[in-house]
Amino acid sequence: MISKPLRIGMVCPYGWDVPGGVQMHVRELAEHFIAQGHYVSVIAPVSDEDAITDSWLVNAGRPVPIPFNGSVARVLFGPIAASRVRQWIVQGDFDLLHMHEPGIPSISLLACWAAEGAMVGTFHASTPKMRAIASVGPLIEPMIEKLSARIAVSEMAQATLNNLYGTEAVVIPNGIDTTRFREAKGPGSVPGGLRIGFLGRFEENRKGLPLLLEALPRIIKAHPGVELVVAGPGDPARVLAKVDPQVARHVKFLGRLSEEEKVAFLASLNLYIAPNTGGESFGIILAEAMASGAPVLASNIPAFVDLLSVGDSGVTFISEDAADLARKVNDLLSNRPRLQQLAENGVEAAIRFDWGSVATQIMSVYEVAMTGHGKVAVGSENASWKKGRER
Amino acid sequence: MTYVALLLLVLLFMWYLSFSAARLDRLHHRVETSWEHLDALLQRRAALALEISHQTDLDPATDFLLMQSAYVSREEAIVDRNDAERSLSESLKFLRESARSGELTISVRLLDELTALTEKITLAIKIHLEAVNSVAKLRSRPIYRLFHLAGKAKLPRIYSFEEDSL
Repeated sequence: MISKPLRIGMVCPYGWDVPGGVQMHVRELAEHFIAQGHYVSVIAPVSDEDAITDSWLVNAGRPVPIPFNGSVARVLFGPIAASRVRQWIVQGDFDLLHMHEPGIPSISLLACWAAEGAMVGTFHASTPKMRAIASVGPLIEPMIEKLSARIAVSEMAQATLNNLYGTEAVVIPNGIDTTRFREAKGPGSVPGGLRIGFLGRFEENRKGLPLLLEALPRIIKAHPGVELVVAGPGDPARVLAKVDPQVARHVKFLGRLSEEEKVAFLASLNLYIAPNTGGESFGIILAEAMASGAPVLASNIPAFVDLLSVGDSGVTFISEDAADLARKVNDLLSNRPRLQQLAENGVEAAIRFDWGSVATQIMSVYEVAMTGHGKVAVGSENASWKKGRER
Repeated sequence: MTYVALLLLVLLFMWYLSFSAARLDRLHHRVETSWEHLDALLQRRAALALEISHQTDLDPATDFLLMQSAYVSREEAIVDRNDAERSLSESLKFLRESARSGELTISVRLLDELTALTEKITLAIKIHLEAVNSVAKLRSRPIYRLFHLAGKAKLPRIYSFEEDSL
Protein backbone atom coordinates (compact mmCIF):
# COMPACT_ATOMS: atom_id res chain seq x y z
CA MET A 1 0.00 0.00 0.00
CA ILE A 2 2.76 2.40 0.95
CA SER A 3 5.28 3.08 -1.74
CA LYS A 4 7.93 4.49 0.56
CA PRO A 5 8.09 4.99 4.33
CA LEU A 6 7.78 8.63 5.35
CA ARG A 7 9.50 10.64 8.05
CA ILE A 8 6.64 12.38 9.85
CA GLY A 9 6.93 14.98 12.60
CA MET A 10 3.87 15.61 14.76
CA VAL A 11 3.42 18.53 17.13
CA CYS A 12 1.10 18.24 20.12
CA PRO A 13 0.37 21.62 21.77
CA TYR A 14 -0.93 20.35 25.12
CA GLY A 15 0.88 18.79 28.10
CA TRP A 16 1.53 15.17 27.13
CA ASP A 17 1.13 13.69 30.61
CA VAL A 18 -2.35 15.15 31.14
CA PRO A 19 -5.21 13.12 29.65
CA GLY A 20 -7.00 14.87 26.80
CA GLY A 21 -8.61 14.29 23.45
CA VAL A 22 -5.87 15.89 21.37
CA GLN A 23 -3.06 14.04 23.16
CA MET A 24 -4.89 10.73 22.74
CA HIS A 25 -5.47 11.42 19.05
CA VAL A 26 -1.80 12.26 18.43
CA ARG A 27 -0.61 9.19 20.34
CA GLU A 28 -2.86 6.74 18.52
CA LEU A 29 -2.21 8.28 15.11
CA ALA A 30 1.55 8.12 15.72
CA GLU A 31 1.36 4.51 16.85
CA HIS A 32 -0.77 3.61 13.84
CA PHE A 33 1.72 5.11 11.36
CA ILE A 34 4.70 3.57 13.17
CA ALA A 35 3.00 0.18 12.94
CA GLN A 36 2.64 0.77 9.18
CA GLY A 37 6.39 1.24 8.90
CA HIS A 38 6.71 5.01 8.86
CA TYR A 39 9.13 6.96 11.04
CA VAL A 40 7.23 9.24 13.43
CA SER A 41 8.56 11.71 15.98
CA VAL A 42 6.18 13.60 18.28
CA ILE A 43 7.16 16.77 20.11
CA ALA A 44 5.02 17.87 23.07
CA PRO A 45 5.26 19.78 26.35
CA VAL A 46 5.91 17.42 29.27
CA SER A 47 5.53 18.14 33.00
CA ASP A 48 7.12 14.99 34.36
CA GLU A 49 10.10 13.86 32.30
CA ASP A 50 10.28 10.51 34.10
CA ALA A 51 6.81 9.62 32.86
CA ILE A 52 7.98 9.45 29.23
CA THR A 53 8.17 5.89 28.06
CA ASP A 54 7.86 6.27 24.32
CA SER A 55 11.08 6.48 22.34
CA TRP A 56 9.36 8.55 19.64
CA LEU A 57 8.40 11.35 22.02
CA VAL A 58 10.51 14.53 22.31
CA ASN A 59 10.11 16.83 25.31
CA ALA A 60 9.69 20.50 24.37
CA GLY A 61 9.65 21.79 27.94
CA ARG A 62 7.37 22.27 30.91
CA PRO A 63 3.84 23.48 30.06
CA VAL A 64 2.13 26.50 31.65
CA PRO A 65 -1.53 26.30 32.73
CA ILE A 66 -3.67 28.90 30.92
CA PRO A 67 -7.46 29.22 31.15
CA PHE A 68 -8.94 28.54 27.73
CA ASN A 69 -12.43 27.70 26.46
CA GLY A 70 -13.85 26.89 29.91
CA SER A 71 -11.04 24.64 31.08
CA VAL A 72 -7.35 24.98 31.81
CA ALA A 73 -5.05 24.24 28.89
CA ARG A 74 -1.44 23.25 29.52
CA VAL A 75 0.46 24.99 26.75
CA LEU A 76 4.04 25.97 26.06
CA PHE A 77 5.47 29.14 24.56
CA GLY A 78 8.49 31.41 24.81
CA PRO A 79 11.98 31.67 23.33
CA ILE A 80 13.36 28.40 24.76
CA ALA A 81 10.41 26.42 23.46
CA ALA A 82 10.77 28.11 20.07
CA SER A 83 14.42 27.14 19.75
CA ARG A 84 13.74 23.55 20.86
CA VAL A 85 11.04 23.18 18.22
CA ARG A 86 13.41 24.65 15.62
CA GLN A 87 16.14 22.22 16.63
CA TRP A 88 13.72 19.29 16.48
CA ILE A 89 12.74 20.23 12.93
CA VAL A 90 16.39 20.48 11.85
CA GLN A 91 17.37 17.15 13.37
CA GLY A 92 14.22 15.31 12.29
CA ASP A 93 14.86 15.53 8.55
CA PHE A 94 11.10 15.28 8.03
CA ASP A 95 9.15 14.77 4.84
CA LEU A 96 6.14 16.35 6.47
CA LEU A 97 5.06 18.13 9.65
CA HIS A 98 1.63 17.54 11.15
CA MET A 99 0.62 20.36 13.55
CA HIS A 100 -2.26 19.79 15.92
CA GLU A 101 -4.31 22.81 16.91
CA PRO A 102 -1.95 25.40 15.36
CA GLY A 103 -4.46 28.15 16.16
CA ILE A 104 -3.74 28.21 19.88
CA PRO A 105 -0.69 29.82 21.53
CA SER A 106 1.55 26.79 21.92
CA ILE A 107 4.32 24.87 20.15
CA SER A 108 2.25 23.93 17.09
CA LEU A 109 2.09 27.62 16.26
CA LEU A 110 5.83 27.91 16.93
CA ALA A 111 6.52 25.02 14.55
CA CYS A 112 4.34 26.70 11.92
CA TRP A 113 6.40 29.82 12.35
CA ALA A 114 9.77 28.09 12.11
CA ALA A 115 9.19 25.55 9.36
CA GLU A 116 9.20 25.78 5.58
CA GLY A 117 7.84 22.90 3.52
CA ALA A 118 5.04 20.35 3.59
CA MET A 119 2.81 21.04 6.58
CA VAL A 120 -0.61 19.76 7.60
CA GLY A 121 -2.66 21.24 10.43
CA THR A 122 -5.50 19.58 12.32
CA PHE A 123 -8.05 21.80 14.06
CA HIS A 124 -9.79 20.11 16.95
CA ALA A 125 -11.59 22.85 18.86
CA SER A 126 -14.75 24.70 18.16
CA THR A 127 -14.69 27.86 20.20
CA PRO A 128 -17.73 30.05 20.75
CA LYS A 129 -15.57 32.96 21.91
CA MET A 130 -14.86 34.42 18.50
CA ARG A 131 -14.05 37.92 19.63
CA ALA A 132 -11.20 36.83 21.86
CA ILE A 133 -9.48 35.08 18.96
CA ALA A 134 -10.61 37.64 16.40
CA SER A 135 -8.34 40.20 18.05
CA VAL A 136 -5.29 38.19 17.01
CA GLY A 137 -6.77 36.62 13.90
CA PRO A 138 -4.94 38.87 11.46
CA LEU A 139 -1.63 37.90 13.08
CA ILE A 140 -2.35 34.19 13.00
CA GLU A 141 -3.73 34.08 9.47
CA PRO A 142 -0.31 34.12 7.76
CA MET A 143 0.75 31.17 9.96
CA ILE A 144 -2.37 29.21 9.03
CA GLU A 145 -1.72 29.98 5.36
CA LYS A 146 1.67 28.32 5.58
CA LEU A 147 -0.08 25.00 6.09
CA SER A 148 -0.31 23.12 2.80
CA ALA A 149 -3.51 21.39 3.94
CA ARG A 150 -5.91 21.74 6.81
CA ILE A 151 -8.00 19.09 8.56
CA ALA A 152 -10.97 19.78 10.86
CA VAL A 153 -12.18 16.98 13.13
CA SER A 154 -15.84 17.91 12.82
CA GLU A 155 -18.25 20.21 11.01
CA MET A 156 -18.15 22.41 14.12
CA ALA A 157 -14.39 22.73 14.03
CA GLN A 158 -14.63 23.45 10.32
CA ALA A 159 -17.18 26.23 10.91
CA THR A 160 -14.96 27.78 13.59
CA LEU A 161 -11.96 27.71 11.29
CA ASN A 162 -13.97 29.28 8.52
CA ASN A 163 -15.26 32.06 10.78
CA LEU A 164 -11.89 32.88 12.28
CA TYR A 165 -9.55 32.70 9.34
CA GLY A 166 -11.85 32.35 6.38
CA THR A 167 -10.20 29.13 5.22
CA GLU A 168 -11.63 25.75 4.37
CA ALA A 169 -10.56 22.39 5.68
CA VAL A 170 -11.10 18.71 4.96
CA VAL A 171 -13.29 17.12 7.65
CA ILE A 172 -11.77 13.89 8.97
CA PRO A 173 -13.12 12.61 12.31
CA ASN A 174 -11.01 11.62 15.29
CA GLY A 175 -10.04 7.97 15.28
CA ILE A 176 -10.66 5.15 17.72
CA ASP A 177 -9.59 1.52 17.80
CA THR A 178 -13.01 -0.06 17.36
CA THR A 179 -11.80 -3.66 17.68
CA ARG A 180 -10.65 -2.96 21.24
CA PHE A 181 -14.11 -1.68 22.17
CA ARG A 182 -16.02 -4.39 20.37
CA GLU A 183 -14.24 -7.16 22.28
CA ALA A 184 -15.52 -5.89 25.66
CA LYS A 185 -18.29 -7.76 27.45
CA GLY A 186 -21.83 -6.36 27.45
CA PRO A 187 -24.03 -5.32 30.38
CA GLY A 188 -25.08 -8.92 30.88
CA SER A 189 -21.71 -9.45 32.57
CA VAL A 190 -22.67 -7.16 35.45
CA PRO A 191 -25.34 -8.60 37.73
CA GLY A 192 -28.12 -6.49 39.21
CA GLY A 193 -30.02 -3.40 38.18
CA LEU A 194 -29.80 -0.74 35.55
CA ARG A 195 -26.49 1.07 35.06
CA ILE A 196 -26.40 4.50 33.46
CA GLY A 197 -22.99 6.07 33.00
CA PHE A 198 -21.19 9.41 32.76
CA LEU A 199 -17.53 9.95 31.91
CA GLY A 200 -15.50 13.14 32.07
CA ARG A 201 -13.97 15.79 34.34
CA PHE A 202 -17.21 16.00 36.28
CA GLU A 203 -16.40 19.15 38.25
CA GLU A 204 -16.43 21.21 35.05
CA ASN A 205 -19.99 22.46 34.62
CA ARG A 206 -19.86 22.29 30.85
CA LYS A 207 -19.51 18.50 31.09
CA GLY A 208 -23.05 18.51 32.49
CA LEU A 209 -22.97 16.28 35.58
CA PRO A 210 -25.00 18.84 37.64
CA LEU A 211 -27.76 18.56 35.05
CA LEU A 212 -27.76 14.79 35.26
CA LEU A 213 -27.90 14.93 39.08
CA GLU A 214 -30.83 17.32 38.79
CA ALA A 215 -32.66 14.82 36.60
CA LEU A 216 -31.72 11.82 38.74
CA PRO A 217 -34.57 11.98 41.34
CA ARG A 218 -37.13 11.69 38.54
CA ILE A 219 -35.21 8.75 37.05
CA ILE A 220 -35.05 6.99 40.43
CA LYS A 221 -38.79 7.46 40.84
CA ALA A 222 -39.49 5.57 37.62
CA HIS A 223 -36.61 3.09 37.99
CA PRO A 224 -35.81 2.53 41.68
CA GLY A 225 -33.04 0.05 40.84
CA VAL A 226 -31.05 2.52 38.73
CA GLU A 227 -27.39 3.25 39.43
CA LEU A 228 -25.52 6.25 38.04
CA VAL A 229 -21.86 5.38 37.56
CA VAL A 230 -19.56 8.38 37.21
CA ALA A 231 -16.05 7.93 35.84
CA GLY A 232 -13.36 10.56 35.51
CA PRO A 233 -11.03 12.71 37.62
CA GLY A 234 -12.41 15.02 40.30
CA ASP A 235 -13.51 15.20 43.92
CA PRO A 236 -16.83 13.32 44.49
CA ALA A 237 -17.37 14.92 47.94
CA ARG A 238 -17.65 18.37 46.43
CA VAL A 239 -20.31 17.21 43.97
CA LEU A 240 -22.28 15.09 46.43
CA ALA A 241 -22.43 17.89 49.02
CA LYS A 242 -25.19 19.52 46.99
CA VAL A 243 -27.14 16.28 46.50
CA ASP A 244 -29.90 14.77 48.66
CA PRO A 245 -28.42 11.70 50.47
CA GLN A 246 -31.36 9.59 49.27
CA VAL A 247 -30.35 10.39 45.70
CA ALA A 248 -26.62 10.14 46.40
CA ARG A 249 -27.10 6.47 47.35
CA HIS A 250 -27.70 5.78 43.67
CA VAL A 251 -24.47 7.43 42.54
CA LYS A 252 -21.17 5.61 42.34
CA PHE A 253 -17.81 7.23 41.54
CA LEU A 254 -15.07 5.21 39.88
CA GLY A 255 -12.38 7.90 39.69
CA ARG A 256 -10.00 8.18 36.75
CA LEU A 257 -10.01 5.10 34.55
CA SER A 258 -7.21 3.49 32.56
CA GLU A 259 -7.89 2.80 28.89
CA GLU A 260 -8.72 -0.86 29.62
CA GLU A 261 -10.99 0.12 32.50
CA LYS A 262 -12.76 2.62 30.26
CA VAL A 263 -13.56 -0.08 27.72
CA ALA A 264 -14.98 -2.36 30.44
CA PHE A 265 -16.88 0.57 31.98
CA LEU A 266 -18.59 1.56 28.73
CA ALA A 267 -19.50 -2.01 27.89
CA SER A 268 -21.08 -2.51 31.33
CA LEU A 269 -23.64 0.25 30.83
CA ASN A 270 -27.29 -0.05 29.90
CA LEU A 271 -27.18 3.58 28.78
CA TYR A 272 -24.36 6.10 28.30
CA ILE A 273 -25.33 9.72 28.94
CA ALA A 274 -23.47 12.79 27.63
CA PRO A 275 -25.22 15.81 29.18
CA ASN A 276 -22.55 18.31 28.04
CA THR A 277 -23.83 21.86 27.78
CA GLY A 278 -21.35 23.04 25.16
CA GLY A 279 -17.69 23.58 24.38
CA GLU A 280 -17.43 20.19 22.66
CA SER A 281 -16.15 19.98 19.14
CA PHE A 282 -16.24 16.26 18.46
CA GLY A 283 -17.24 14.00 21.34
CA ILE A 284 -14.86 11.06 20.88
CA ILE A 285 -16.39 9.47 23.97
CA LEU A 286 -19.69 9.07 22.13
CA ALA A 287 -17.91 7.23 19.34
CA GLU A 288 -16.23 5.00 21.94
CA ALA A 289 -19.51 4.29 23.73
CA MET A 290 -21.10 3.40 20.40
CA ALA A 291 -18.21 1.13 19.49
CA SER A 292 -18.49 -0.73 22.78
CA GLY A 293 -22.21 -1.30 22.32
CA ALA A 294 -23.49 1.13 24.93
CA PRO A 295 -26.66 2.95 23.78
CA VAL A 296 -26.02 6.70 23.76
CA LEU A 297 -28.21 9.55 25.01
CA ALA A 298 -26.62 12.96 24.45
CA SER A 299 -27.56 16.62 24.68
CA ASN A 300 -28.50 18.18 21.35
CA ILE A 301 -25.43 20.40 21.07
CA PRO A 302 -24.31 20.68 17.42
CA ALA A 303 -21.22 18.45 17.76
CA PHE A 304 -23.26 15.57 19.21
CA VAL A 305 -26.17 15.94 16.80
CA ASP A 306 -23.64 15.84 13.99
CA LEU A 307 -21.91 12.74 15.36
CA LEU A 308 -25.15 10.85 16.03
CA SER A 309 -26.74 11.81 12.70
CA VAL A 310 -25.64 8.64 10.90
CA GLY A 311 -27.93 5.62 10.97
CA ASP A 312 -30.10 6.14 14.11
CA SER A 313 -27.11 5.52 16.35
CA GLY A 314 -28.19 7.53 19.40
CA VAL A 315 -30.86 9.67 21.01
CA THR A 316 -30.62 13.35 21.94
CA PHE A 317 -32.40 15.49 24.53
CA ILE A 318 -32.78 19.27 24.76
CA SER A 319 -29.50 20.63 26.09
CA GLU A 320 -29.64 22.04 29.64
CA ASP A 321 -33.20 20.75 30.14
CA ALA A 322 -33.23 18.36 33.12
CA ALA A 323 -36.91 17.47 32.66
CA ASP A 324 -36.36 16.40 29.06
CA LEU A 325 -33.25 14.46 30.07
CA ALA A 326 -35.17 12.57 32.77
CA ARG A 327 -38.03 11.84 30.38
CA LYS A 328 -35.74 10.47 27.66
CA VAL A 329 -33.78 8.32 30.14
CA ASN A 330 -37.01 6.88 31.55
CA ASP A 331 -38.44 6.17 28.09
CA LEU A 332 -35.26 4.40 27.00
CA LEU A 333 -34.79 2.36 30.18
CA SER A 334 -38.38 1.09 29.91
CA ASN A 335 -37.86 0.03 26.30
CA ARG A 336 -35.32 -2.81 26.20
CA PRO A 337 -35.80 -3.66 22.49
CA ARG A 338 -35.07 -0.02 21.61
CA LEU A 339 -31.87 -0.07 23.70
CA GLN A 340 -30.79 -3.27 22.00
CA GLN A 341 -31.43 -1.75 18.58
CA LEU A 342 -29.51 1.46 19.45
CA ALA A 343 -26.56 -0.63 20.65
CA GLU A 344 -26.42 -2.56 17.38
CA ASN A 345 -26.77 0.57 15.25
CA GLY A 346 -24.05 2.27 17.31
CA VAL A 347 -21.51 -0.49 16.77
CA GLU A 348 -22.10 -0.27 13.04
CA ALA A 349 -22.01 3.54 12.89
CA ALA A 350 -18.75 3.63 14.89
CA ILE A 351 -16.86 1.78 12.17
CA ARG A 352 -16.33 5.04 10.29
CA PHE A 353 -14.25 6.27 13.26
CA ASP A 354 -11.90 3.30 13.13
CA TRP A 355 -8.23 4.19 12.72
CA GLY A 356 -8.07 1.97 9.65
CA SER A 357 -10.27 4.37 7.73
CA VAL A 358 -9.32 7.61 9.53
CA ALA A 359 -5.55 7.15 9.15
CA THR A 360 -5.94 6.28 5.46
CA GLN A 361 -7.77 9.55 4.90
CA ILE A 362 -5.09 11.47 6.81
CA MET A 363 -2.38 9.79 4.71
CA SER A 364 -4.16 10.95 1.56
CA VAL A 365 -4.03 14.51 2.87
CA TYR A 366 -0.30 14.06 3.60
CA GLU A 367 0.26 12.99 0.00
CA VAL A 368 -1.49 16.09 -1.31
CA ALA A 369 0.49 18.31 1.07
CA MET A 370 3.85 16.84 0.06
CA THR A 371 3.31 17.42 -3.63
CA GLY A 372 5.92 19.87 -4.87
CA HIS A 373 7.82 19.99 -1.56
CA GLY A 374 11.15 18.46 -0.60
CA LYS A 375 12.23 17.89 2.98
CA VAL A 376 10.93 20.21 5.69
CA ALA A 377 13.44 22.94 6.52
CA VAL A 378 13.55 25.83 8.96
CA GLY A 379 13.11 29.42 7.88
CA SER A 380 15.84 32.01 8.34
CA GLU A 381 17.00 32.26 11.94
CA ASN A 382 15.73 35.09 14.15
CA ALA A 383 13.23 36.33 11.61
CA SER A 384 10.73 38.32 13.60
CA TRP A 385 7.29 37.09 12.78
CA LYS A 386 5.90 40.61 12.87
CA LYS A 387 8.48 41.98 10.48
CA GLY A 388 7.63 39.15 8.13
CA ARG A 389 4.02 40.23 8.30
CA GLU A 390 4.73 43.86 7.50
CA ARG A 391 6.79 43.15 4.48
CA MET B 1 -42.10 54.25 84.00
CA THR B 2 -41.90 50.94 82.14
CA TYR B 3 -43.31 52.61 79.02
CA VAL B 4 -40.49 55.12 79.04
CA ALA B 5 -37.94 52.31 79.39
CA LEU B 6 -39.58 50.37 76.57
CA LEU B 7 -39.63 53.45 74.35
CA LEU B 8 -35.98 54.09 75.10
CA LEU B 9 -35.17 50.48 74.27
CA VAL B 10 -36.99 50.69 70.93
CA LEU B 11 -35.26 53.96 70.11
CA LEU B 12 -31.93 52.46 71.03
CA PHE B 13 -32.60 49.46 68.84
CA MET B 14 -33.59 51.66 65.92
CA TRP B 15 -30.49 53.71 66.32
CA TYR B 16 -28.48 50.48 66.32
CA LEU B 17 -30.15 49.36 63.11
CA SER B 18 -29.42 52.60 61.36
CA PHE B 19 -25.88 52.55 62.68
CA SER B 20 -25.41 49.02 61.31
CA ALA B 21 -26.86 49.95 57.95
CA ALA B 22 -24.53 52.92 57.71
CA ARG B 23 -21.62 50.69 58.62
CA LEU B 24 -22.47 48.24 55.88
CA ASP B 25 -23.02 51.05 53.43
CA ARG B 26 -19.55 52.38 54.17
CA LEU B 27 -18.08 48.95 53.56
CA HIS B 28 -19.98 48.57 50.29
CA HIS B 29 -18.60 51.89 49.25
CA ARG B 30 -15.10 50.73 50.14
CA VAL B 31 -15.54 47.66 47.94
CA GLU B 32 -16.57 49.91 45.08
CA THR B 33 -13.67 52.30 45.37
CA SER B 34 -11.10 49.54 45.88
CA TRP B 35 -12.51 47.78 42.80
CA GLU B 36 -12.34 50.96 40.75
CA HIS B 37 -8.73 51.37 41.76
CA LEU B 38 -7.94 47.74 40.90
CA ASP B 39 -9.80 47.96 37.60
CA ALA B 40 -7.83 51.05 36.60
CA LEU B 41 -4.58 49.23 37.35
CA LEU B 42 -5.72 46.21 35.34
CA GLN B 43 -6.50 48.47 32.39
CA ARG B 44 -3.02 49.90 32.64
CA ARG B 45 -1.60 46.40 32.74
CA ALA B 46 -3.48 45.45 29.57
CA ALA B 47 -2.18 48.57 27.82
CA LEU B 48 1.35 47.81 28.98
CA ALA B 49 1.04 44.22 27.74
CA LEU B 50 0.12 45.52 24.29
CA GLU B 51 3.09 47.87 24.34
CA ILE B 52 5.43 45.04 25.34
CA SER B 53 4.00 42.89 22.57
CA HIS B 54 4.55 45.73 20.11
CA GLN B 55 8.10 46.56 21.10
CA THR B 56 9.54 43.15 21.89
CA ASP B 57 10.68 40.50 19.48
CA LEU B 58 8.46 37.71 20.80
CA ASP B 59 7.67 34.29 19.43
CA PRO B 60 4.15 34.10 17.94
CA ALA B 61 2.74 31.89 20.71
CA THR B 62 3.71 34.27 23.52
CA ASP B 63 2.61 37.22 21.44
CA PHE B 64 -0.71 35.60 20.66
CA LEU B 65 -1.42 34.96 24.33
CA LEU B 66 -0.38 38.42 25.39
CA MET B 67 -2.35 40.28 22.75
CA GLN B 68 -5.46 38.19 22.98
CA SER B 69 -5.77 38.45 26.76
CA ALA B 70 -4.86 42.14 26.71
CA TYR B 71 -7.55 42.94 24.14
CA VAL B 72 -10.20 41.02 26.05
CA SER B 73 -9.14 42.64 29.34
CA ARG B 74 -9.59 46.06 27.85
CA GLU B 75 -12.90 45.44 26.15
CA GLU B 76 -15.06 43.05 28.11
CA ALA B 77 -17.07 43.40 31.31
CA ILE B 78 -15.38 41.85 34.30
CA VAL B 79 -17.52 38.68 34.35
CA ASP B 80 -16.33 37.83 30.85
CA ARG B 81 -12.72 38.67 31.30
CA ASN B 82 -11.76 36.62 34.32
CA ASP B 83 -10.05 34.05 32.09
CA ALA B 84 -8.29 36.78 30.15
CA GLU B 85 -6.94 38.38 33.33
CA ARG B 86 -5.68 34.99 34.42
CA SER B 87 -3.88 34.35 31.13
CA LEU B 88 -2.47 37.84 31.28
CA SER B 89 -1.13 37.22 34.79
CA GLU B 90 0.40 33.93 33.65
CA SER B 91 1.97 35.23 30.47
CA LEU B 92 3.36 38.37 32.08
CA LYS B 93 4.80 36.28 34.91
CA PHE B 94 6.41 34.10 32.28
CA LEU B 95 7.82 37.18 30.50
CA ARG B 96 9.32 38.60 33.69
CA GLU B 97 10.93 35.26 34.53
CA SER B 98 12.28 34.85 31.00
CA ALA B 99 13.69 38.38 31.08
CA ARG B 100 15.30 37.79 34.47
CA SER B 101 17.05 34.62 33.28
CA GLY B 102 18.20 36.36 30.12
CA GLU B 103 16.26 34.22 27.65
CA LEU B 104 14.39 37.26 26.44
CA THR B 105 15.29 40.90 25.98
CA ILE B 106 12.63 43.36 27.04
CA SER B 107 13.33 47.08 27.20
CA VAL B 108 14.40 48.05 30.72
CA ARG B 109 11.80 50.78 30.93
CA LEU B 110 8.92 48.41 30.11
CA LEU B 111 10.24 45.74 32.45
CA ASP B 112 10.57 48.22 35.33
CA GLU B 113 7.11 49.54 34.65
CA LEU B 114 5.72 46.01 34.58
CA THR B 115 7.40 45.09 37.85
CA ALA B 116 6.12 48.22 39.58
CA LEU B 117 2.61 47.73 38.20
CA THR B 118 2.52 44.09 39.25
CA GLU B 119 3.41 45.07 42.82
CA LYS B 120 0.67 47.67 42.84
CA ILE B 121 -1.88 45.18 41.50
CA THR B 122 -0.89 42.58 44.08
CA LEU B 123 -1.48 45.16 46.80
CA ALA B 124 -4.71 46.45 45.28
CA ILE B 125 -6.11 42.91 45.06
CA LYS B 126 -5.23 42.30 48.70
CA ILE B 127 -7.01 45.49 49.81
CA HIS B 128 -10.00 44.81 47.61
CA LEU B 129 -10.36 41.22 48.83
CA GLU B 130 -10.15 42.42 52.41
CA ALA B 131 -13.08 44.79 51.79
CA VAL B 132 -15.05 42.07 49.97
CA ASN B 133 -14.52 39.64 52.83
CA SER B 134 -15.58 42.18 55.45
CA VAL B 135 -18.81 42.81 53.58
CA ALA B 136 -19.51 39.10 53.28
CA LYS B 137 -18.77 38.57 56.97
CA LEU B 138 -20.99 41.42 58.08
CA ARG B 139 -23.83 40.45 55.80
CA SER B 140 -23.85 36.89 57.08
CA ARG B 141 -24.78 38.14 60.59
CA PRO B 142 -28.44 37.40 61.52
CA ILE B 143 -29.40 41.03 62.22
CA TYR B 144 -28.27 42.12 58.75
CA ARG B 145 -30.17 39.35 57.08
CA LEU B 146 -33.29 39.69 59.24
CA PHE B 147 -33.69 43.43 58.60
CA HIS B 148 -32.44 43.38 55.00
CA LEU B 149 -29.86 45.99 55.84
CA ALA B 150 -28.00 45.30 52.63
CA GLY B 151 -31.05 46.37 50.62
CA LYS B 152 -30.68 45.47 46.98
CA ALA B 153 -26.88 45.69 46.93
CA LYS B 154 -25.36 42.60 45.33
CA LEU B 155 -22.96 40.55 47.40
CA PRO B 156 -19.55 41.41 45.97
CA ARG B 157 -17.91 38.37 44.45
CA ILE B 158 -14.37 37.18 44.26
CA TYR B 159 -12.97 36.40 40.81
CA SER B 160 -10.52 33.58 40.49
CA PHE B 161 -7.89 35.81 38.88
CA GLU B 162 -7.69 37.64 42.19
CA GLU B 163 -6.44 34.49 43.85
CA ASP B 164 -3.55 33.87 41.47
CA SER B 165 -0.03 34.68 42.48
CA LEU B 166 1.27 37.39 40.20
